[in-house]
Amino acid sequence: MSNETASEGVMVTINGMEISVQPGDLVIDAAERAGAHIPRFCYHPRMSSVGVCRQCLVDIDTGRGPGLQPSCMVPVSEGMVVDTESEGVKRVQEGILELLLINHPLDCPVCDKGGECPLQDQTLTFGPVESRFIEEKRHYEKPIAISDLVYLDRERCVLCDRCTRFAREVAGDPLIHFMQRGNQTQVLTFPDDPFNSYFSGNTVQICPVGALTAKPYRFRARPWDLSEVESTCTTCSVGCRINVQSSRGELLRYQGVDIDSVNHGWLCDKGRFGFEAVNSDERLGTPFVRSDSNPDELVGTDWNTALEAAASALKAASGSSVGVIGGARLSNENAYAWSKFARTVLSTDNVDAQLGDGLCAEMVMSLPRATIDDAATADHVLLLAPDLKEELPVLYLRLRGASQGSTKLIELAPAPTGLTRYTSAAHGYRPGEMGQALDELLGGATGDAMRSGRTVVVIGRPSLADSPGEVEAAVGVAQRLLPEATFLPALRRGNVLGALDMGLAPGVLPGRIANDGSSQAWIDTHWGSIPTERGMDTIAMLEAAASGRLHTLLLIGADPLADVPDRDLVERAFAGVAKIVAVDTFATASVKRADVVLPTTAFAESGGTTTNLEGRISTLGRMVTGPGTVRDDWTIAAELAWRLDADLGLESLPGIWAEIEAVAPSHARCSPSMLSADSEGVLVPLPVVAVPEPDEIADDDADTSEADTSEAEVDEEQAEGAAAVVEAPSVPASVSWSAPALVDPPAVDGYALRLVARRRLYDAAVHTSQASSLAALADDSTLRVHPAELGSLGVESGSRINVTTARATIVLQVTADESVPRGVASMGFNQPGISAAELIDHREPVTEIRIETR
Amino acid sequence: MAAQSDETQMSFFTTENRRLADVIVARYPKRRSATIPLLHLAQEQHGWICDDAMIEIADLVDATPAEVKGTGTFYEMFKFHPVGKYVVNICGTMSCKLMGADELMNHAEQKLGVAVGETTEDGLFTLEHAECQAACTEAPTLQVNYRHEYRVTTDDFDRLVDDLTAGRRDGDIPAHGTLARIRQEIPANRAVGAVPPEEVDGPPAWLPQEGA
Amino acid sequence: MGMLDYVRGFKVTFERLFDERVTTEYPKEKRPKPERFHGRHVLNRHEDGMEKCIGCELCAGVCPAKCIYVRGSDNPVEDPVSPGERFGFVYEINYLRCIHCDMCVEACPTQAITESKLFEFSFTNRSDAIYTKSELVVDDEGKPRKQPWELWHEGDDLNTSGWMRATSSAGRVEYEGVVGWSGELGHGVRSPEVGQSATASSEEGA
Repeated sequence: MSNETASEGVMVTINGMEISVQPGDLVIDAAERAGAHIPRFCYHPRMSSVGVCRQCLVDIDTGRGPGLQPSCMVPVSEGMVVDTESEGVKRVQEGILELLLINHPLDCPVCDKGGECPLQDQTLTFGPVESRFIEEKRHYEKPIAISDLVYLDRERCVLCDRCTRFAREVAGDPLIHFMQRGNQTQVLTFPDDPFNSYFSGNTVQICPVGALTAKPYRFRARPWDLSEVESTCTTCSVGCRINVQSSRGELLRYQGVDIDSVNHGWLCDKGRFGFEAVNSDERLGTPFVRSDSNPDELVGTDWNTALEAAASALKAASGSSVGVIGGARLSNENAYAWSKFARTVLSTDNVDAQLGDGLCAEMVMSLPRATIDDAATADHVLLLAPDLKEELPVLYLRLRGASQGSTKLIELAPAPTGLTRYTSAAHGYRPGEMGQALDELLGGATGDAMRSGRTVVVIGRPSLADSPGEVEAAVGVAQRLLPEATFLPALRRGNVLGALDMGLAPGVLPGRIANDGSSQAWIDTHWGSIPTERGMDTIAMLEAAASGRLHTLLLIGADPLADVPDRDLVERAFAGVAKIVAVDTFATASVKRADVVLPTTAFAESGGTTTNLEGRISTLGRMVTGPGTVRDDWTIAAELAWRLDADLGLESLPGIWAEIEAVAPSHARCSPSMLSADSEGVLVPLPVVAVPEPDEIADDDADTSEADTSEAEVDEEQAEGAAAVVEAPSVPASVSWSAPALVDPPAVDGYALRLVARRRLYDAAVHTSQASSLAALADDSTLRVHPAELGSLGVESGSRINVTTARATIVLQVTADESVPRGVASMGFNQPGISAAELIDHREPVTEIRIETR
Repeated sequence: MAAQSDETQMSFFTTENRRLADVIVARYPKRRSATIPLLHLAQEQHGWICDDAMIEIADLVDATPAEVKGTGTFYEMFKFHPVGKYVVNICGTMSCKLMGADELMNHAEQKLGVAVGETTEDGLFTLEHAECQAACTEAPTLQVNYRHEYRVTTDDFDRLVDDLTAGRRDGDIPAHGTLARIRQEIPANRAVGAVPPEEVDGPPAWLPQEGA
Repeated sequence: MGMLDYVRGFKVTFERLFDERVTTEYPKEKRPKPERFHGRHVLNRHEDGMEKCIGCELCAGVCPAKCIYVRGSDNPVEDPVSPGERFGFVYEINYLRCIHCDMCVEACPTQAITESKLFEFSFTNRSDAIYTKSELVVDDEGKPRKQPWELWHEGDDLNTSGWMRATSSAGRVEYEGVVGWSGELGHGVRSPEVGQSATASSEEGA
């Protein structure tokens, strides 16, 4: 926090230059800052130092004469004299490299790391000219697959302990380990126990040689023919910073970028290898319209025909009989375009970026927002969230890392999650009783402990089989009993928070302001008149459609059939609506039901910005061109507007951003140059500057340090809930939300189990199923029940059973799992071949299932 | 941890050894510290350490099987492949080499009919090369299950093998893996107990108490 | 200007009339090409028929004209194309851009790409000018494959895998005359060129 103490550091002399460094800094980092790069293999700034590779030995003199010490293990001390270029250091650098190269095969030409290999680079810079070793090198079978995604070549390994340390310290999946000893030391998995970590791809990125290579990238390109652009991953809403790399117009690799505030350089495998889905042959490349002759068929057509068909479908509907669902997968600019399109052209407030699987938009926007760093440095983190390991993997990494320090994780979940084993206390509750359980928990000693320190509450949907009202009531309890707490929304889709910020929710306008009378004057000046009557959310739209009150549904990258936790409702809605217009990248189940399909650009095919779950806005990079004739969403919106005799007034992505800056109060003064200045992005709303300097505001060249201090202050500002910017008196206030009262939990049915349906990282959605390397990883399609429950039902683990609710009966395999509490059954929400949505009735507070043998 | 479900039909340790394993785990402030004692226990029970043993040990010490195997394979005396009832290590370091270790090894290979590193077909002997066994004055030396034999001549070796085969040495050379220390049962009043090192304030409990 | 001037104008002609002729009846006749002539490339194969190219893209990386396109791929285990893990899955050279600088030959770690002395080709479309792998890889006898638009004469397909580095890549004198490459289909192990140092130039290559 206090960067000012940097000036009163310790004085050290590095290569004759006296510099001041922070006490506690390692010599290797201090030297880097002094401009002296010390070669290293094992040292990684995001992991503990182990000093095993000995490459970073330098002369360190602390008053007793210079001596070689590993600079990654020695913290600086006052008066320390460091020489990184002495004769002795050079000798040892050459010696270590010669040693490492004794057994390292020189198969650089076929090695994926060749060209970006620290061993290559450091050998050229610091290594000996020639090796004295002429004997045969050590041989192992090469390569061996240590998981479905990672290959291991033990011949190339230099035993730096980076991958094994990562697996142990960062990912918490120590499935790879040094085996044997001496000359036989090698990294290996246990037999038949592969390195199935959700984070295995990171080991490939941090491997300083080509020992670990990624299957999806294997032999696809060499580093010198890759072009790259920095971007932000939108696989989930954590917003990891990545480098998008392509060669000859094809995405080939994503690499994590190390930024302090979000991902520390790490990525989950789903994000890292998600480029395969963008490259998929199944991508929609041309528009489709439903055939006149055969209503079961979608026929490819040109844009003119398709846009005309879409426009006429939309024209036939009046403001209240049209619904717009989706937008959470888009950039802020595209979401803004659709939001403006819906309000000004379609004259409707029936817009919702969430699919009944999220949280109330007003609640998310009005709660004092925490950052990931806030959570990772808090005294307590209360988890009222889904399984973060499955849904927001890098947030899981950050919280897991925090739990190893002084942060205490306290979980309240209906079934154990990936974080449960790292919590200091994990409490269960019967589905439907979250609010009561939380009330009890916070009323006691746990609550006192949390109130005495800084607490962050992570909120989300712990189970999609329960109604969202349960979470809202629980958040109300948290707010009441933890008045100082800040909240981190654990919503899943890439830019869902950006879409909500852009007004893709009923009753909400861009910039977190309410679409009621209060903001009318403000929005009229920017958009002209729009309907102020509160529209419907996704569930309400689907209900209206099912009862014939909706004429046209516009799906923007949304697949309600897969994602809405009530399949039956969606089926009835699709049957009841006259026209469906879908804008999407893949022919999902819902898109196949549409009357008009407009293909759109996917990740890395368009620029713009995205917003992560903290409200951090960062840029998206455009790297490749989409297939066929795909168009950006905002151009589709603009075209449709034109065909509906309106003008959206949107002409370019920067132009849209400028408009967002003006229209959305929460995004005011967030200039493009601020966004491009720093990989960290910009946290909105920006704090109100105490003494506004006119040229500071007007001047786009706000420097990085200013952005940093802004971030440091921002949570205090947010705690006051102040999006109110002083410069314009007419700026409307932010949305407000009041928590619903706790309702009595539904009575327990002794003959039924309560369903817990949670998303898994690898599921049946296109992002997994269209990525060839990931598709096979989506496998857990079973219902998990405590063995005692199975015993009392007389059901064998592994057998196929009928699972019945009022909605449907589906056949599932059942697995005994001791970690699942009694009275509960747990399943993946959307796994290949099964869908919990079929079982769920959204009107019910909980989903009671009955199990019968077939 | 102790509550295994009915589903895990596989259990490597015998009931008695499983009880002992729980006792061993309880000795340490951190479960993980019991890894090596449990590997010894597994080797004693089975003669060598199989995958099932490591999976069960991992479960007992709250680690992954990879960590258990990684720890175990560092140590020469843990065997991860089947070995004979008697593991014969012939020293090949300087003193022994000078005093005829090569000839002894050659003879041993002939006598047992296996090459160094191999196990006889009857599963009785595994022949291994070893580095210094710290008995240079008694060269050439060998060890049978880590019990020394000094100044071994080829005749001595033949006799040793015959005695072992006939079971005449059962009294002083138990089967491979047997370690007496593992059976040590520490009475509760003398146990160190699961006290984290930083909380220890007195002398070790097992030292004779003054005035006792 | 008299008659004499007219005759004097032919002085050179008459002088040279009975000299040895320097013009050859190209293309019927061809002069032998220099040892290090840079013609069109061939992709060599090992003596057992495996391709030498491992798809490492170093040639493409070093090419100043950016005329080479290579993509590697995993070698099929049952039916390997080249020794090792990786093989050149796509290999294309665009001869509309190639400047025959031979940097690719220098960069190649396996002596897979060399330049033949073939240079006479006249294509009439772009796709012919882009030689693909099937056109570049030598045939089962180690000879280049003749394309319809190439002009070949008797013997042009001999010794086509042109010159190779004479010394070790480190440039060490001790390695002069020592063959640093494997034998190739149709040629076996080719003798190394004579190096640059005085001592080596007086010796026969090993």
